[in-house]
Amino acid sequence: MTDATVAARAAPRKPVSVAGLAALGGLGVALVVVGPYVFDTYLLNILIKAFFFAIAAITVDVLWGYTGYLTFGQSAFFGVGAYAAGLIFTHYGFSPATVAAAVGAAIACTGLLAALVGWLSFYRGASPFFATVISLVVPIVLSQLLLSGGEWTGSSSGLTGYETFDWSLEAWFWVSGGALLAVGTVAWLAMRSDGGRVLTAIRDNESRCEYLGIRVSRVKIMLLIAMGIVAGLAGFGYGAFSGVVAPELSGFVLGTELIIWVALGGRGTLWGPLIGAVLINVASAYLSGSMPFAWQLILGSAFVAVIVLLPQGLIPLLLRPFGFGRRTATAPALTERALPPVDTADTSPALVMQDVTRRFGSLHVLQGISFSARAGELVGLIGPNGAGKTTLMRCMSDGADRTSGTVALCGNDIGRLSPQACVRFGLGRKFQNANVFESLTVGESLRIAGTLLERPSLWRRSQVLALPAYALDVVRTTGLDYKLDAVARDLSHGEQQALELAMVLALAPRIVLLDEPTAGLSKHERTQIGEILSALAHRYGLCCLLVEHDLDFVEQIATRIVVLHQGKLVMEGSFQDVVNSELVRNIYAGTAQPVPDAHDGVQSDAAFQQSNTSTVPKEDSPRSTISKEPT
Amino acid sequence: MALLLDVLTTAAMLFIVTAGLMMIFGVMKIVNFAHGALLTMGGYVSYVVTHLKLDPWLSWPLAFVCGMVAGLIIEYLVVRPLYKRPLDAILATWGLGIIIGQLIVIAFGREVQFTDTPLDGMWTLAGTGYSAYRLLLIPVAVVLCGVLTALLNGTRFGVNTRAVIMNEKLASGLGINAGRIRFITFSLGAGLGTLAGTLVSPLSSVDPNMGVGWLVSAFMLVMVSGHSMVSLMATCLVFGAAQVLVSIYFSPVLGGLTIAVLAALTLRIRPKGFAHD
Repeated sequence: MTDATVAARAAPRKPVSVAGLAALGGLGVALVVVGPYVFDTYLLNILIKAFFFAIAAITVDVLWGYTGYLTFGQSAFFGVGAYAAGLIFTHYGFSPATVAAAVGAAIACTGLLAALVGWLSFYRGASPFFATVISLVVPIVLSQLLLSGGEWTGSSSGLTGYETFDWSLEAWFWVSGGALLAVGTVAWLAMRSDGGRVLTAIRDNESRCEYLGIRVSRVKIMLLIAMGIVAGLAGFGYGAFSGVVAPELSGFVLGTELIIWVALGGRGTLWGPLIGAVLINVASAYLSGSMPFAWQLILGSAFVAVIVLLPQGLIPLLLRPFGFGRRTATAPALTERALPPVDTADTSPALVMQDVTRRFGSLHVLQGISFSARAGELVGLIGPNGAGKTTLMRCMSDGADRTSGTVALCGNDIGRLSPQACVRFGLGRKFQNANVFESLTVGESLRIAGTLLERPSLWRRSQVLALPAYALDVVRTTGLDYKLDAVARDLSHGEQQALELAMVLALAPRIVLLDEPTAGLSKHERTQIGEILSALAHRYGLCCLLVEHDLDFVEQIATRIVVLHQGKLVMEGSFQDVVNSELVRNIYAGTAQPVPDAHDGVQSDAAFQQSNTSTVPKEDSPRSTISKEPT
Repeated sequence: MALLLDVLTTAAMLFIVTAGLMMIFGVMKIVNFAHGALLTMGGYVSYVVTHLKLDPWLSWPLAFVCGMVAGLIIEYLVVRPLYKRPLDAILATWGLGIIIGQLIVIAFGREVQFTDTPLDGMWTLAGTGYSAYRLLLIPVAVVLCGVLTALLNGTRFGVNTRAVIMNEKLASGLGINAGRIRFITFSLGAGLGTLAGTLVSPLSSVDPNMGVGWLVSAFMLVMVSGHSMVSLMATCLVFGAAQVLVSIYFSPVLGGLTIAVLAALTLRIRPKGFAHD
């Protein structure tokens, strides 16, 4: 492996929307600069408030549109920020010191509140519904507290008439508009950066993220804290500008309005919600006077129609003819990641299971499994359906799953730790069904898989993608290197399987769990994967554990076979020992009927391949799979 | 004694208000955010009945029918396209809530209204006089719980419904019309929502936002209680008791928040809530 960088073979595509966005950004800057000279006082007032609301809308878009966390609670942070200004300026007067104190209070209180909400909402196994319902509770609790605050918070009428910044309307317009553009730009850079793609990965497939070693809950909590602080500062600006704070600013009606602006503007685009929030606020200010009830009705109807018919929002639809909203996926250049050399002298087993059991109520799925595997071994795990093979893999990769017993990965007892901790001990798990990130490209998926080894940048996209040599092998042999800019959901089933395998290997694991990695693949693809797997164990010294029904496949690559039956480990040995064993025949056939000789199977496969060199069969290629039903 | 009756009637009210939401969430795994607006609608059915000087008992069947019809329309137009996008279904039903609320405002105005109660006066139980109508809600809740449990567990419709919950594709393959099951379930749940609005309206006032206050408590109860009507009843008793105690011994404001906060903490500690599995 001498050549370090290999140019991606896909032709680079010209990013379409960058020019468009630059034009849009230029237009925004121009509007903010000349605004005070063209707009009247009333409109300037409306726009300044709209700008602060739009900042909050951007935080909703980051949380909901990009990360998939539907929140009604961003108004709580906005309200906390506004009240930080209102309370401190009312009770302690206005001076540089109190301004600093108010900003500090806005940041500290929103950060703490966000940490609390995050702790309540995001934990392993929390349903997205639950997080959403919590986000609904937060603003309701907060506005109740503000209402019961008596004189100090001004109760239902809020606080008015406090002294605040003595700035002209023009200055406020420039400050708020500049803040909105700055927040929009920073958020846009962050969301399109490699780090930002992690959020989309979490939205697409949280469990796959866990099994790539990403601390999903922590990422979400940190993100919520950041977004809470931004929304809080926007609220501070609003409170300082308007000179009025009321409980409605933290109420859940504002929280739902933020959602409506983002949905109508176009979730997951940032500029859509920004434009949407400003336009709807301006329209509301003019129309709610002339037709107060009808306007709300129109807004509600438009919202429902957009959710049902146009989930992408209105503004992307209007701007699409001008080249907006298209994906600008680029294929990065592939390069080999240098890994620390494997210590071949170390002969202690990589994986040790001691007396592991798993019960579901009275059902014993696994009983007293003790077993170990060393680096460089490729262990084939076989057994009839329902023998507990997948459960066994789950017990190795998730500390919370087994009922009793101990599991150690590379010398670390996994205790009750989560999958992401197990991954950090050196585990990689490929699921039975292709488990990928639907809306990410192949290149992005592979980069996210390497998050543990290389922290992705939060503000830029890397043009180089480094992968361990064996992951590169998978990508190249399966032709995925031609499709680095293809979106995962558009790949064929076999390509998705290969992508997931490459992602697991991109982790540079010490132990690889493979649950039927060749299910649904053609004969040709199976052969390729087989070669890669045996190289993993024999050349790169990984410890591989393979669940497989196809005995020919197992024979070709496995160094040892383990037979599982009714939750017990009934036999261990070489392939010949196992196939010729009376016990195994009994397990599979129910009687002592001979299992079809594996070598016949190989020959028939070879003959089949010769007769079908042009077309590669996807499924049902003849193979001496062990019959699933007793004959 | 009065305290015990407070707890029981509060639990009964909570159950009545939550049952329709539970029906829809339990069967369709969709959180119906329009439930609050449906409650409000039920309140206004009572108001119309009062206004027209009809027999107040008439508002019960009338509310149920109105809710059923509204549910049929909502399911057909809005919920059906969103089964595959449950979070969007939350939003769409929330938007519907806004629409229903605005229509009510246009029709009836923003003023707070009052309705006639079908059952006046006090009943004396073990020496304690207590509002007869509040007491009436206890048997209503128990009967409702029994009927719904029987419907879901003892009838052909219930068996088909559970088949659709467990495996929709298989159920469809076996000739069960999954679309129709959802259609009926949603409208039943909506009907229960408006009925609940009518049932609680004599105890409070009727205004365009009356449903919202109930909404969050109802959600939390459904999230905590899991799937069965009986466990929902138990949850309503426990949390209702907590709400009454906090309201009496601390402050009504805190009492109003008790259910939401307690339920959030319960779910954080026991993510599966009170459900058995």
